[in-house]
Amino acid sequence: MSVAFLDQSAVSLVAVTLLVALAAWARIARPCPPLNPDRARQMLAEEFPDDRPSQVWVSADGQGVVARAQDKALVLFRAGDVYVARSASWKAVCETPAAHGLVRLKFGEIGAPEARLRLSPAVVWPPGV
Amino acid sequence: MKFDPVTLATPFFIITIVLEIVLARLGKAKAEYETRDTAVSLAMGFGSTIAGVMIGGVTVAATLWAYQHRAFSIPMTAVWAWVAIFLLEDLTYYWFHRLSHERRIWWAAHVNHHSSQHYNLSTALRQTWTGGIAGTWLLWLPLAFLGFPPAMIAIEKGISLVYQFWIHTEAIKRLPAPIEAVFNTPSHHRVHHARNPRYLDSNYAGVLIVWDRLFGSFEPEREDEPPRYGIVKNLGDFNILRAAFHEWIAIGGDLLRARSSREVLGYVFGPPGWSADGSRDTSTEIKRKWRARIAAAGEGLTPPSATAEPSLGPVPNAPTPAEI
Repeated sequence: MSVAFLDQSAVSLVAVTLLVALAAWARIARPCPPLNPDRARQMLAEEFPDDRPSQVWVSADGQGVVARAQDKALVLFRAGDVYVARSASWKAVCETPAAHGLVRLKFGEIGAPEARLRLSPAVVWPPGV
Repeated sequence: MKFDPVTLATPFFIITIVLEIVLARLGKAKAEYETRDTAVSLAMGFGSTIAGVMIGGVTVAATLWAYQHRAFSIPMTAVWAWVAIFLLEDLTYYWFHRLSHERRIWWAAHVNHHSSQHYNLSTALRQTWTGGIAGTWLLWLPLAFLGFPPAMIAIEKGISLVYQFWIHTEAIKRLPAPIEAVFNTPSHHRVHHARNPRYLDSNYAGVLIVWDRLFGSFEPEREDEPPRYGIVKNLGDFNILRAAFHEWIAIGGDLLRARSSREVLGYVFGPPGWSADGSRDTSTEIKRKWRARIAAAGEGLTPPSATAEPSLGPVPNAPTPAEI
């Protein structure tokens, strides 16, 4: 690699850092208020249009959703200012233990290995046992 | 001095990203920037230049070799030659891009560009690290065999890349109709980055949208259906290595479980979403289901997603519905 390329790379790294700092300063992320059951159902309908969730649970912090659609669990969880959707078997979700007010649902795939949902202290996990 | 459109345009990239952020901050333009998402996009752009240098020797050598075996000698100084390479390079880009979406091995190299759920100028720089390995650069070799000088091909590829930068924005709604008819625009490219079933696998154009109109992959942006950006199965975090390599790792996992050469071919060269047992959905299948839902709704049937399943009744030890 030439000196010019290394110089150019160093300048690029500085530019990347400054642009990320600018984006952080600007605070122009997508509005992403905590989910409520109505909004959760609306998002579930968008993400899982072929499924019919019967019951919907929203996490204590409003940043995660688990819904049951027959033998499937439909899961939404927040990543930054957006939500990510995955499905898992309802049985597997019910067998996932909770610890310290947190449940970590595993999806067994590299794109989204797990969702962390915060539980309300007042309720018992798992939901379907 | 080497003429590299991308290097020359880098200050333009930086200035316009600054402008987009500042104008959005002031409420003068539509743009959403999430800090970690922006960091991944820009870092991937930086990383792609490193990856490009690492594989660059191979691609340059191959292009020079092809040029040594050329059919014609096309002069770099002729205007007609620049017009010809503009059209031929853009046509090549269209098919490269279409392959990159419709065949999994090439999608593995391209998916990172679509892995953001945002659409802003930083998304344009979310470039591949593995395109060289995927070998899609081979598609440009026929231009060298034809007789276009390698420098001419490189310049035209650079011009196309620079053109495609500014269309990654929500700040520009629609351009005048004649421009929308001929050129790839922010509106057309928003559709390309959308994961709504209607918009999947459409608008592959580089500069000229006419290729999509010609080959049947054009889809206009609709006011009543805003694009939802990202991929069918969005990434669960902002890990840059996950963004760069997740589909390659997923292919590896599928190959380890493959039980026949047919399955191996399907997992490598089949469309993204293909699976031996049919448990996953390809774009075609997603669109088919979407059309079926539309048809069902049109016949007066309630769309499945709006229909409640019979109640399961209370579940012992269950949390209160609507709260975990």
